[in-house]
Order: sequence, then C-alpha cells, then structure tokens
Amino acid sequence: MTTRTAQVLTAHAVAESRLAPGSVYMAVAPDVILGHDATIALLIGRVRKAGLRIAHPERCLFAADHFVPAATEERASILHDYVRFVEEQGVSTAALYQGISHQLMVEDRRCVPGALIAGADSHTTMAGALGTVAIGFGSTDILGVLVRGVLFVRIPEAVHVRVVGRRGPHVSGKDVALLMMRHFGEGGATYRALEIEDQTPSRSLTMADRMTLANMAVDCGAKNALVVPDEVTAAYVTARDGAPAPFAFAPPVASDYHSVVELDLSHVTPLVARPGSPADVAPASDAGGERIDQVVIGSCCGGRLEDLHEALAVLAGRRVPDRVRFVVTPASRQVYEAALADGTALALSRAGAMVTVPSCGACGGIDKGLLGAGEVCVSTSNRNFRGRMGSIEARIYLASAATAAASALLGRVADPREVA
Amino acid sequence: MNLTGPALVFGDEINTDELHPSRFYSLDDVRVRSGFLRAVEGKEDQGQRPFEGAIVVAGRTFGIGSSRETGARVFRLAGIRALVAVSFARIFHRNLLNLGLLAVTAPGLATVKPADGELVTVDLAANLVRFGPHALPIEPLDPHWRAVLDAGGLAAYLGIEER
Repeated sequence: MTTRTAQVLTAHAVAESRLAPGSVYMAVAPDVILGHDATIALLIGRVRKAGLRIAHPERCLFAADHFVPAATEERASILHDYVRFVEEQGVSTAALYQGISHQLMVEDRRCVPGALIAGADSHTTMAGALGTVAIGFGSTDILGVLVRGVLFVRIPEAVHVRVVGRRGPHVSGKDVALLMMRHFGEGGATYRALEIEDQTPSRSLTMADRMTLANMAVDCGAKNALVVPDEVTAAYVTARDGAPAPFAFAPPVASDYHSVVELDLSHVTPLVARPGSPADVAPASDAGGERIDQVVIGSCCGGRLEDLHEALAVLAGRRVPDRVRFVVTPASRQVYEAALADGTALALSRAGAMVTVPSCGACGGIDKGLLGAGEVCVSTSNRNFRGRMGSIEARIYLASAATAAASALLGRVADPREVA
Repeated sequence: MNLTGPALVFGDEINTDELHPSRFYSLDDVRVRSGFLRAVEGKEDQGQRPFEGAIVVAGRTFGIGSSRETGARVFRLAGIRALVAVSFARIFHRNLLNLGLLAVTAPGLATVKPADGELVTVDLAANLVRFGPHALPIEPLDPHWRAVLDAGGLAAYLGIEER
C-alpha cells in the first residue's frame, strides 16, 4: 500500500521524455491550476513573449483577490492586464472578483477527494481539506504547467496526523491549527505530506475547521495536507454539488508513514501565536494581555461564515471600544452574501465592525487594514511575520475568530472565556 | 565547478516577508530590487548594498512563507551567485532553482557558519562548501534539478524561453 498522497500523485502521472535519468521526480498533470492576480501577473509577460498559449484553459481557476478593488494605480494596471490575459487565453472569467482563490477552490465542484490541484500560492494546501492533494508553487512552475501541461514533483514522505479528544467550548479549528503549528514548528513538516484524520468523538472537525487546518499546514513547511475523507466530507460535497464524491482511497498501512503525530484536543484552551512566528503559540489567557489597536477577521484562513458566526456569538450584542479598528473581510462573495442574508453582517456592523468586500486585504499587507509603527493587531489570518501587515514595528497575534472577538471587546489580547 | 564569493549570512527560519516584504511586490525590477532584506532583523538597511557575486549562507528553513516569486527573483536581481542553507522551505527552494539559481543544502552549517563577508567556496565537483578551515558536505541535487540548472532555469529547460 501507499499513502493517499502517493496514490493521487501516481494517478496523475504522465509520460515525460524530458525527465532526467536517475531522478526521483515524476511528471504530473493536475486537474486544476489555481491562480490569482498577484502571482499570475508575474508570468503574463513571459507567456506573451514566448507566443504561447495556456494548454488547458478549462483546468484553470483564476481569481482576482489580491488587488481588488485596486488601492494604487500600479495595482490597478496589474489587475487590468491580468483580466485581459484571462480573457485572451480563453480562461473562464467567472471566478474574477468572487473572493479569495483558496475559498473559491473549496466552493468549486472540481475540488473532490482524489483531485490534484496545483496553485500559484502557498496556501493552496487548504483544498486538501476535501481529500485532494493541493500543492503551492511559484510562478515559473505554474508557467511550465500552464503552457507545457506538466509539473515535476516527487512523492513526499507522509506524516499521519491523528486528531483525537473532545474539545472544550470556545476551542475552534484555528486553535487546532495553532496546536499543529506548536507541534511542528515553522519548518517541522518541510517537504512532507500531512495526512490528517479526524478521530475525535463523533467527528467534531467541521469542514471549516479542516480548511483552516490544511491552510496552515504550509506554515509548518508541509507540501500538502490531505484530510482523510469521511462522512463530513461526503455531506459537504453532497450539499455543494447535489451528489456525493466518488473517489475512495486504498487505506495505507502504518509502515507507509514516516511518523505518527497525535493532536489531542481534550486539554486545549484558546490559543494565540505571538508576534513574529505562527509557531510561537501560547494560551490566549497566558499571552500577556497586550493592548491592541486592530482586530482582523478575514483571509483564506479565518474569513468563513463559521468564523463570522463564532465572532458574533462571543460579541453577544456588545460593542467593541471606539478606539479599536475592527475589520471583517469575508473570504468570498458566497460568504459575504450569506452573511448579508442571515443578518450576520448587520450584527457585526452594529458591534463596531467595518465589513469590507471579499479580498486578501490586510492579511498580506495589501490594503484595508495595514498597521503603523507600534500598532498591535489580533488577526484570524495565517502569518504574523515581521512587517507582514505593514510596519516592521507592528505586532501581530494570530487567533481564532472567538479569541479575536473577545480581544476586540476588551481592547487587549484576551481569552473568549473572559467575556462569556 | 567552483563558486567563490563573500558570505551573506542569515539565521534560522528567515521568512519571505522578511526577505522581501509584500509591499515591494511589483512588475518593475527596480522596485523589486529595492525591497531586498527590508524586514530582516539587523539587515533592514543593508539591502541596497551591492551583493554582486555574494554567496548566501543560511540556517534552517530559509525562505518559509510566501510563493511570491519576486521574493526569490530579488536574489538574482541583487547579484547573489549561489545559496547554501541548512535547509530551505520547499516553495522558495523550487523558485530559486527554477530561476536558475544554485541553491543547495549543507546540514553541517547548523554547527558552524562563516562570518559575514568571509570568503566561501561552493565546490560542486566535491559536493563541499568550504570556508576558513571548514569543508562541509553538500547534499547532492537530484538529477532533475541539475538538468534544470544546466539549462539555465525551468523555462529554458521546457523550451519556453531561451537561456
């Protein structure tokens, strides 16, 4: 037997005469190539100069999520040229301006167990929540697969990650992700596949939880994170597509794995990653309670409807202090419209939130919530590197939406149980 | 083949947002170049130095974070000749090699590193990195990556661009 990741890669192998003799690499043709305005823009000129075309435009899912709506003239020009490129290459324009690429990927019918997804962005790993093998690449790799149809990959060693234990109240999927970060550290899973299995009582990890977990797998260095499909996956796919997903994996045996890691949720309390590293994880109640200036609920990691609901439950009709900038950025138009339709957006606004249009926004230091020198932020996003959201003198804590909302209410880093 | 140059030394887990903050993402090479090292602690103001021919010597998981290829291309724009690290983050490592930059691992750097500016030689025939009295083994690159580097990068290897 082999790991699920190996099964998917092998099923997508193609003959490639260019592969060097003696190499452990293989050529694969992915089912979906995920791209967005910021990283596809880096290869547009190269495709045009070579006079080439995208080999399989029907395999592309191209979003416009980084520079939307554009905040500077340069970004407007990049976006303008990107949209023209999408049109001239015959790629569907349907995903443009619909939200963050990773969220659009999991909303897409092509994202089913067993699919191979190559994305021009590191957080492509998120789609592994549905039992896909989803891997992030830089623009030159994506250039190669777009015009030549192949990617060169090797089969990674895999770690079996067993999530066990019953979690307490206010412990969300983000806390599970931070627990994983604490376990592996920033580079602890480098080059490896994580095959994550929900072995908690009555499968308590929701699809949203799994997406957040797979999203941050790249932040501990993993190549991909495949959440083993189960009835939770089947229910999500059936609700999305009106039909269940057909793919079943041959179950690996213990010896297929490099190692086994157990993430036990039974004693976990709400967590934060302290400024500078997503792996510098501590209990929210024990993180020093630093005074904050901004809270962001958003990004591919923490901007789903479930996150907005989680924040609202903690806010419970209360209003955040006037001085706290409370930014809520839904991950996609689907999330945004659901939040409008069920009253979440209005309730968040009444609690003091500035609900922005879906985009990558503040997370990548792009717009709609950058930080100045000396400012402190709690964010549901995935990276808190120095300078990530603006000034190198700013400090970013990563947390769940519940912890972010509690922190917004108290104007300092706080545990949601303090305001329960 | 021997590549020799002054060392540009980094610690462990230096991420892409430190090496090249996203606000320097651009299609303009001058703008991209100006972002080099702008958030690396202790090197914020050194990115503008000429680095022609320098060899990066780094610790664990160098370049973790973003896939933005500007963060790898800036090393080429800055004139870096080669990179040696204890380990690289996966996407960043691929980006460097795909752009035709030699990037190899030498786990022994975890115990001893050259000083900033000290002359370092990457000896590809012997698979060693040498500085002062030290000669540390380099992990051999897979034949695929050697072929990509010989071609001058992935785009040339795939016949998309001329070398």
